[in-house]
Amino acid sequence: MSSNNESIGKTLGVVVGLCLVCAIVVSFASVQLRPLQQANKIKDVQRNILTAAGFKDIENVEETFKANIESRVIDMKTGEFVDVDPLSFDFESTKYDAERSFALEKENDLAGIQRMTYNSPVYLVKGDGSDVSTVILPIQGYGLWGIMFGFLAMDEDGQTIKAIQFFKHKETAGLGGEIENPKWTATWEGKQLPIDIVKGTAGNNEHKIDGLSGATLTSNGVDNTIDFWTSEKGFGPFLAKVRKGALN
Amino acid sequence: MANTKEMKEVLFGPVFANNPIALQVLGICSALAVTSSLKNALIMSIALTLVTAFSSLFISMIRNHIPSSVRIIVQMTIIASLVIVVDQVLQAVVYSTAKELSTFIGLIITNCIVMGRAEAYAMKSPPTMSFLDGIGNGLGYSVVLLTVGFVRELFGAGTLFGAEILPLVSDGGWYRPMGLLIMPFSSFFLVGIFIWILRIYKKDQVEAKA
Repeated sequence: MSSNNESIGKTLGVVVGLCLVCAIVVSFASVQLRPLQQANKIKDVQRNILTAAGFKDIENVEETFKANIESRVIDMKTGEFVDVDPLSFDFESTKYDAERSFALEKENDLAGIQRMTYNSPVYLVKGDGSDVSTVILPIQGYGLWGIMFGFLAMDEDGQTIKAIQFFKHKETAGLGGEIENPKWTATWEGKQLPIDIVKGTAGNNEHKIDGLSGATLTSNGVDNTIDFWTSEKGFGPFLAKVRKGALN
Repeated sequence: MANTKEMKEVLFGPVFANNPIALQVLGICSALAVTSSLKNALIMSIALTLVTAFSSLFISMIRNHIPSSVRIIVQMTIIASLVIVVDQVLQAVVYSTAKELSTFIGLIITNCIVMGRAEAYAMKSPPTMSFLDGIGNGLGYSVVLLTVGFVRELFGAGTLFGAEILPLVSDGGWYRPMGLLIMPFSSFFLVGIFIWILRIYKKDQVEAKA
């Protein structure tokens, strides 16, 4: 190595030049790929909503979604529909937008999510006619390692659970990660609110669900998440309206 | 300078003879974390191989201009940029896997194999050879990762690439999965066994007794 490599001028030159080149490469990749990533993200959410709605072997996610699901936004406090673009919600980041969200006090924060949005999207599944048969609620709550994001599909009676579907979480693969397992989520079908997750004794009790073995803390997290989102602080007001038949 | 024999050695040497995980014991952490399914292990292997190869290539290209006082930072900048690009590409192309691997892709930046090859080889060697060295070490890493991933997914979950191979008892089959293999630390045992078997055939890798 030649000695002039060590001069201050050369050192600065190399570092600044390199940083410029790297910055350009990274920004170029990021900007070029963003539309694809965004599309993937939306598609992933749509696929999960459709799965929660009971669709299987979906070939064209976008078209199936368009044909069967109506996205609406509600005010969490009143449960009324409001005129906001459902696509403007990001389940992870919108709750950090100071204008659209608020901090939860500890004693109110059963699900461990710290902040929540004033409004929330809900997804209405249209049956064969134009009647709404199912309503899908986005939920999130702290498991063992991090926040679990999912959808809870409720029957039009606002009382019966149709499905639960987690689409993003950090739980241990094979243990807590089994919250994604279709065999376990199938046990939720037909259960009634309020839900209690118990250890292996649920049987046919319509309010109880067997916890995941080896994943007590994750199961507790799911339990708290459901309790929170179906309570007055969560979708309670909306569900009350649904029970009165607000959907059809 | 670089003849075919030397190239071959640089490219295939790290696969068994000088395996980065088994002999140099580098990059163990990601070998534990991403091997619970074969698909994740494969994507991770490809990502790491590409990052190692291209970072070695670029570092080698500018090696005569890197001031030694800031050489580590220069290497890190190049490696980090490549990792971000790889991460962005994965998110655009294989979104669901990228979602599962998320943090581990970012952690390629700190993977000792990449840094180790940059510092030990690319700083002293011409670009072509450095590139091959990167690919070779990536292959060595991949061999271990895929072996561990194969065993863990097959015996831990009864599947390979997500397709059912051994029908599980819980699905009405006969196979009772080994829960231990799902846990990350089981990779320690598997990597250990891999090294053991490797050293039965390559006796020169056995350390001399003190």
